[in-house]
Amino acid sequence: MIPEYLIRALLASVMISVLLGLLSPLINMKGLAFLTHATFHSLLFGAVLGMILGLIFENLELVMWTALIITIVVVLTIAELEKKGFTPDAAVGIIASFVAGLTVLSFGILYKVMAEKPYFPFSENIVSYLTGEVFLITLNDLLTLVIGGAFIFFLMILLYRDFLYISFDPEGVESYGGNVRVYLMILYVIVGAIGALIVKTVGLITLQVIAVLPGAIAMMVSSNIKKILAVSLFLTLTVELLSIVMAYKTNIPPSGIATIMLGAIYGVLLFRR
Amino acid sequence: MEAVLAENVNILYDSYRAVEGLNFKLEEGETLLLLGPNGAGKTTLLKTISGFHRSYEGKLLIFGKEPAEAKELISYVPQSHSLNEVVPLKAIEVVSVGAIYKEGFFHFRFPKNAIKKAKEALNFVGLKHEAEKPFNKLSGGQKQRVLLARALISNPKLLLLDEPLSALDPSARAEVAAVLGKIKREKKITMIITTHDINPLIEIGDKVMLLNKKLIAFGSPEEVLRDEIIKSVYGPLARAIKVESRLYCITGDVHLMGGHL
Ligand SMILES: Nc1ncnc2c1ncn2[C@@H]1O[C@H](COP(=O)(O)OP(=O)(O)OP(=O)(O)O)[C@@H](O)[C@H]1O
Ligand SMILES: [Mg+2]
Repeated sequence: MIPEYLIRALLASVMISVLLGLLSPLINMKGLAFLTHATFHSLLFGAVLGMILGLIFENLELVMWTALIITIVVVLTIAELEKKGFTPDAAVGIIASFVAGLTVLSFGILYKVMAEKPYFPFSENIVSYLTGEVFLITLNDLLTLVIGGAFIFFLMILLYRDFLYISFDPEGVESYGGNVRVYLMILYVIVGAIGALIVKTVGLITLQVIAVLPGAIAMMVSSNIKKILAVSLFLTLTVELLSIVMAYKTNIPPSGIATIMLGAIYGVLLFRR
Repeated sequence: MEAVLAENVNILYDSYRAVEGLNFKLEEGETLLLLGPNGAGKTTLLKTISGFHRSYEGKLLIFGKEPAEAKELISYVPQSHSLNEVVPLKAIEVVSVGAIYKEGFFHFRFPKNAIKKAKEALNFVGLKHEAEKPFNKLSGGQKQRVLLARALISNPKLLLLDEPLSALDPSARAEVAAVLGKIKREKKITMIITTHDINPLIEIGDKVMLLNKKLIAFGSPEEVLRDEIIKSVYGPLARAIKVESRLYCITGDVHLMGGHL
């Protein structure tokens, strides 16, 4: 008899793999690794802020939504700075340092609020945001993940060619009448929204690796877009599911196992070159 | 009507004038070769004509319209080093960009007529059999021809080409120059081509402009490519020579500087 929480974890992993499998090649091709990193920092900030609000209003649903909103505000601010003429790296750097400072500040506030509400059941502690708690996700979490994930999935599919084109030659797309800025903004929001949807299951520490490496590996072994997508999807799916099963047997957090597997594959490929 | 008319045009980056006091006329169907050392303002001028760079003073009309209103009439081919070739697009996909952004926001499905047009354009530049090949696996000359096909697909009346020959070896330069000649002969499109190496293009140039922030010279190749004019821009080692009624320019080590970082 398979326990229900394991089934939930496996289903969540399938959704996560599909999203990251599609997104990862784009992150690599468009050179968004640094942005992704900043996004995930703002997720931590958003989560801490969400916990403060969650404790005050005694509703922990607020955590994910606050993280989502903060992250989207952050990516849009970065996009706006780029529009003003900052290079992507500079824009990310400026925002990331603000976010880092605010995160530390908000931790201070969180501890105060926690001390005032010792009676409130605080199951969603901040550590689960760092390491991921795929075995603790509720049916509600799973539903949010599947519905939100499906929406983002279709949006990404519909715009995939456009995302490729603006990665290849933004000036060209612009000069032939495409609105590069809008496409880019949507892509940034997708990065932020996927992060917010999956952070609780995957964990902040490993999110970056799991978002970047599958695409990087796929691009090493193939130079055809369909194959790259297939490899990236297959890789995330295998690694995610395998890590869940291994974590179930060994009690080690799955995101750690997944990251080490990806790192090993990447390392072997680099070495064989 | 002139294809391009410039009267007292200054082009600005904030308060810095990259190009000053420009006056010239280009008739429909003519090809203009735009010469000048690095930083002369060649790219700046093309971007202004194409409506990309909007900060300018003076009168600038493209087929009688302001650049921003004339976008439909213009195809701009940027310097090819600005492409991110990590993205594995096929040649035909690269070409189709020239067609699909005229309509729709989602381009998940490749519109049938875009494929047809892209194939025709690839045919025109002699790359019929390369349509399905990855762009980043093509030779330099083939890549440039793919970009030409992309520029042609929207049936422009004015084609702006920024250093289509740079970073190509001599045989690839000849190959691209031949396609440019074909565009001129068969499609009669007005073209402005910036180049550091005028020799492969001299036969298709109706007009030559020498630019160095200001207009140094403008006219037919014979009028402009004279020793004293060339020397004033490229230094004392530069000269123009005529061999068997063909005009050549020797501009010292400018060829090396023509490469872009
Ligand atoms: N975006 C910009 N902002 C400010 N100044 C600029 C910008 N782009 C170009 N310039 C300046 O304008 C001048 C002309 O540059 P431009 O790129 O047009 O020269 P170019 O003739 O195309 O040179 P090259 O042969 O190197 O391509 C240079 O002094 C350059 O530094
Ligand atoms: Mg230039």
